[in-house]
Amino acid sequence: MQVRAEGPRSTQREEKQLENSIDVLINQVGDLKKSLASFIYKLENEYEHLTWPSVLDSFALLSGQLSTLNKMLKNDKTPLLRNQVIIPLILSPDRDEEIMRVTEGRVPVFSHEVVPDHLRTKPDPEVEEQEKQLTTEAARLTPDVALKQIQSLNKMCSSLLEKINKEERESESGGLRQNKSTFNPADTSALVAAVTFGKGLSNRRPTGPGGSSVGGQPNSAGMMSSGPTLQQVQISMGQNQQQMSGVAMSQPGQPGKMVSNIKTNIKSASMHPYQR
Amino acid sequence: MTDTDALRNAKRSTRIDAWCGYTMEAPPVSAMPVSGGTINMMEYLLQGSVLDQSLESLLHRLRGLCDNMEPGTFQDHEMVFLLKGQQGSPFVLRARRSMDKPTMPWHLRYLGQPEMGDKSRHALVRNCVDIATSDNLMEFLLEMGFRLDHEFVAQGHIFRRGSMKIVVYKIFRLLVPGSTDSIEALSLSYLVEVSVVAPAGQDVISEEMRNFAEQLKPLVHLEKIDPKRVM
Repeated sequence: MQVRAEGPRSTQREEKQLENSIDVLINQVGDLKKSLASFIYKLENEYEHLTWPSVLDSFALLSGQLSTLNKMLKNDKTPLLRNQVIIPLILSPDRDEEIMRVTEGRVPVFSHEVVPDHLRTKPDPEVEEQEKQLTTEAARLTPDVALKQIQSLNKMCSSLLEKINKEERESESGGLRQNKSTFNPADTSALVAAVTFGKGLSNRRPTGPGGSSVGGQPNSAGMMSSGPTLQQVQISMGQNQQQMSGVAMSQPGQPGKMVSNIKTNIKSASMHPYQR
Repeated sequence: MTDTDALRNAKRSTRIDAWCGYTMEAPPVSAMPVSGGTINMMEYLLQGSVLDQSLESLLHRLRGLCDNMEPGTFQDHEMVFLLKGQQGSPFVLRARRSMDKPTMPWHLRYLGQPEMGDKSRHALVRNCVDIATSDNLMEFLLEMGFRLDHEFVAQGHIFRRGSMKIVVYKIFRLLVPGSTDSIEALSLSYLVEVSVVAPAGQDVISEEMRNFAEQLKPLVHLEKIDPKRVM
């Protein structure tokens, strides 16, 4: 390479330290580049079935790598890189394979054309020009006008912040709602009761009165080992307070299976079981 | 039919040794454990449900978690038969036939009283006997004195993970008794069941099942549901 890093009056040790930290930086920048490349690849090739969580993962990885890089640069052990001066020793219009390799084909020659761009430490001339314009404009402002502008900017920022916060809160609660709505405990109970006891399945009474007596009546009569009084009580409950009957009968202490089987039949007869 | 006629006459003292090699005692049944062959098999069960709109996410997750087999679908017609004695609770048998694979044998199942157990056991446990039968099972049961109590159509997906069976299915009510042509969904959710059939006393399995159930949260909460509580 034609570029050499030189520190003014650098001792052996400092030079080694510098080399080490440069190596680490190169590694980290390489990692960062790799994750950026894979993220871009993902965006370009898998956008059809890309999920938001996976995009967030990629962002998290990138921001993590950037912050490590920042930490590394601010570390006490890292020599101040701004004190280092890089000067090009040789410029050549010929193609340089070595530089081609280290820049992965981006810079084929190290000539007077590209060197000012790559080794530049100041902003581009156009940017410098714009900056100058802005500074002169700012200098021309009277303090009154400046104060007004500051106030309006503050106002805008705070209202924007409020809006963002509100949006965030809403999407959070929306997310929660979405999480909760993947299942419904009431449905679980209804389905378990249906497969275990056939609750809500004997649809014979509502559809055909002829079939009803076959399906429901002898069934409940067969269960009636506890006496007719119980049946009457349950029936009146079932008809008067359709929804409540479930609660009332699920209380402990009620006789178990027989009661609820009766209730099942009544319920399916008196109301549409497919009710939510 | 002569066999079944003879059996019908003997239904009070029902001992059906000749039938599939399983012994079953009719009323009073609850006192007698039903055993399948020499080993007492138990079914460990966890249940939950998932709303229709979240079904795809659940299936996606199950495809990821379960053994790498061709995910199967099924459509079964289950009929629940009761045999009532003079006292005690009726004896319940469940007959199932596959609607989408008509050549499959019918499936007869006995399920015992579910045991909740204590907190250390994470799944519901119940005695179970499974038998494959021929397609004239229904006539046979009716001749024996069983009566059809209720029936439903179960339609859904089946997965396997080790010894665990995971079924996600929707329950349909039959609008016309006995006819599976017109059916109506019971609810807007799919029932999710994780079950293992194993010899009695293998409570380690319930631990494994609980771990699996944890992986399906918060999509589905699989719990041991005491059937007495949902009646």
